Amino acid sequence: MVDEAVARGQKVASEAREQAERSRQEAIARAQQQRDQILREAKEKAEAEARQSDRETEQILETYRKLSEERKTAAVTKAVELILNA
Amino acid sequence: MSESLEKLQNRILSDAKLKAEETVKEAQSKAEQFLEEALRRSQKETEDMIAKAKVEAESVRRSILSSKVRVNRLRILDEKNRIVEDIIRTVEDQLSSIARTDQFENTAERFVAEAVKAVESDQPIVRIGFKDATKKNLDGISRGLPKGGKLVIDEKPIDDFGGVIATDPQGKVVFNNTFKSRLERLDNQLLTLISSTVFAE
Repeated sequence: MVDEAVARGQKVASEAREQAERSRQEAIARAQQQRDQILREAKEKAEAEARQSDRETEQILETYRKLSEERKTAAVTKAVELILNA
Repeated sequence: MSESLEKLQNRILSDAKLKAEETVKEAQSKAEQFLEEALRRSQKETEDMIAKAKVEAESVRRSILSSKVRVNRLRILDEKNRIVEDIIRTVEDQLSSIARTDQFENTAERFVAEAVKAVESDQPIVRIGFKDATKKNLDGISRGLPKGGKLVIDEKPIDDFGGVIATDPQGKVVFNNTFKSRLERLDNQLLTLISSTVFAE
């Protein structure tokens, strides 16, 4: 009877180990999915911010081109004056 | 006697049953503890994974953004440089064509006077050369030289865009007053002037 109880106890311990390992594997799989999602979202967010940076840069470049067209003559005149008279 | 044996037998059986129950109970209790501990460990493990993922995600985000910001800053800087260089080229063109303007004689006289003053010699040698300058243009200039001074007229513009170079008779003291040299000397002021004129709000 005692031997039987010992064997039953060993079985309980073995089942507990198996259950613990299953739970661990499930938790790791869930965490892995969460990790992938966090990384994917961060990348998407960064790419969206990068596209916004591109748009802002294009606007700045366009502004510079317009300013250059409008102010080039004045800049050249002032620069020539500086070189001649400084 | 047989009654007492039966009692002993019952007692042994009862003890064995009790021990068996205790053994199983103990195993169950240990198994529960083991499971709880395993659960705690796995929870800690997954929390660490998520925390690491958040740090990694921030690093990925920063890396993508910082390289983009760097590229865009360079594009803006390149465009500004391109605009400034274009203006400087136009300035150089205008300077090298000065002989065709009514500012020429006055400018050439001033450049010569500055150069002569800088070499501090009674017998300065002054080389002068501007694109499209004629002897007639330059006639008045020799009048501004000291009596012992000598004017050498180059047919070609000196230093690409034209100007004046004065030396003492030994050639030890040299003052370069060409447009190229003036552009170099005034480089910082020139860039500031162009930038503030074109890009100021």
